[in-house]
Amino acid sequence: MFKKALLALPVAMAVGAAAQAGEWQDPNDVLQNLLQNNPDSKYLHQSEMNIMMMPDNPALWLVEEGEELFYAQRGPNNVSLEGCDFGKGPGELEGAYVELPRYFDDVGKVMDFEMRLVHCMKELQGFTSDDSAVGQRHGSGSDIMKLTTYIAHQSSGMAWNPPLDHPEEQAMRDAGEVLFFRRGGAMDFNCASCHGDAGKQIRASVLPQMRDSQEWTKAVSWPAHRAGQDNVRSQNHRIRGCVWQMRHAGILPDTPVNTALISFWNDAARGEPAILPDLKR
Amino acid sequence: MFKKNAVAAGMAAFASVALAAGCAVADGSKGSDVDITAMSAEELAEYFIFETGSFRDQEMQEGGTWRDRMTQDDIQKACSMEGNPDGETAGRVVAMARASYEAPESIELGDWRKGAELADSGFGYRMGHNNDNHGQREPGGNCYNCHVFDPRVSVQGTIGPSLVNYGANRGTSEAVLRYVHEVISNPHQYFPCTEMPRFNTVDRQLLTDEQISHIMAYLLDPESPVNNQ
Repeated sequence: MFKKALLALPVAMAVGAAAQAGEWQDPNDVLQNLLQNNPDSKYLHQSEMNIMMMPDNPALWLVEEGEELFYAQRGPNNVSLEGCDFGKGPGELEGAYVELPRYFDDVGKVMDFEMRLVHCMKELQGFTSDDSAVGQRHGSGSDIMKLTTYIAHQSSGMAWNPPLDHPEEQAMRDAGEVLFFRRGGAMDFNCASCHGDAGKQIRASVLPQMRDSQEWTKAVSWPAHRAGQDNVRSQNHRIRGCVWQMRHAGILPDTPVNTALISFWNDAARGEPAILPDLKR
Repeated sequence: MFKKNAVAAGMAAFASVALAAGCAVADGSKGSDVDITAMSAEELAEYFIFETGSFRDQEMQEGGTWRDRMTQDDIQKACSMEGNPDGETAGRVVAMARASYEAPESIELGDWRKGAELADSGFGYRMGHNNDNHGQREPGGNCYNCHVFDPRVSVQGTIGPSLVNYGANRGTSEAVLRYVHEVISNPHQYFPCTEMPRFNTVDRQLLTDEQISHIMAYLLDPESPVNNQ
């Protein structure tokens, strides 16, 4: 579908247009626009190397592998994922990723992206939690990360726009905001301990500020290839790592705390174009 | 360690929430049995943490369960706001912090080399997919994540103030020693709702008195590289 549109780069840079809500853009073009619009952001400009590598982002390989997996007939039920509804209708992927988490009538609750993907792999394809296809959540070699990267890529350049029309969507987002500021754990940290001010560093890493939506859109733009880990990582992986470093308890995927945090995260980037996939330090 | 005087109050709050929502057994992993829109955002956050299986059921290094670690004490509760505390909150937090600090009879500087190792160590207290085993390695202070001690080292954080030449600028009088011990043990005594952890209070010992004496030496000893910039 959206092959690596590397040749489109000079054109997009010449136009330099701000992101349109519904318009797909190459992830490197999205990043270049953010860099130009925010010349003083230490966070956005921190790694010249990663900015340079962005057109050859290793995560783009997973887009191709994920596309094959998405349309392949798999699992005990031998069906593709084309019947999976990520909120835009079965198999409709364009713009779906930036409009999650959302409330799904068929399950009667709010789901984040990974929850929904796993739900479909179980319900449609018949995988169980014991199958590595859904059990292995992390690493560039995992089905989950390949599918995540392919599906997310279909929303690149589109503005984060998680729906808040359903009362449960609003409740999840608001609980996520409380969780973001909730001091706790062995060292008293909350998310704002690191993401409350602009330009601060933990060791060598410049941290994104949550209330700066142009920094925050890059911060929440996962999947991203993490150069330091040589793997493509998800929003879930980032949350797990943060909570671990914060010395809270071990957070689990497909759970309400995780979903509420993502609801708040994505809302905090509302209106800004997503970089999908991104490349991070 | 880690006394949690808020546990009872928190549990009472969930009970009333569960009653209001008309449910006996809470399970947030299913969509239909609890009306999450009937709770305030604060109630819902607590409900999600404690009643939905969102965390691994593990014993923590400090003793106690994941539940104990995730239960807020009074200072954590008071400081869970965006931005700085108002004057009333700040005063209350300072008072709570002072009440939980026990001054040692005498304070002496330890070995700045050991202090440097502790300041540069981010090991300890991490739980979840990987668990820090304190039996294999002593937990460190994490100081370098947020403070610059030595500008020749490029990988130190800036969330907290730079501590370069800290001792060179202040000396090692009894008053300075007491102040630095108070700040490392419970910084809320001077900086209410600071991002810095409390390292040694009557309820919590992330660092022992001996470890603190080494870190203090790293900060204050004239021989320490911190004071030779």
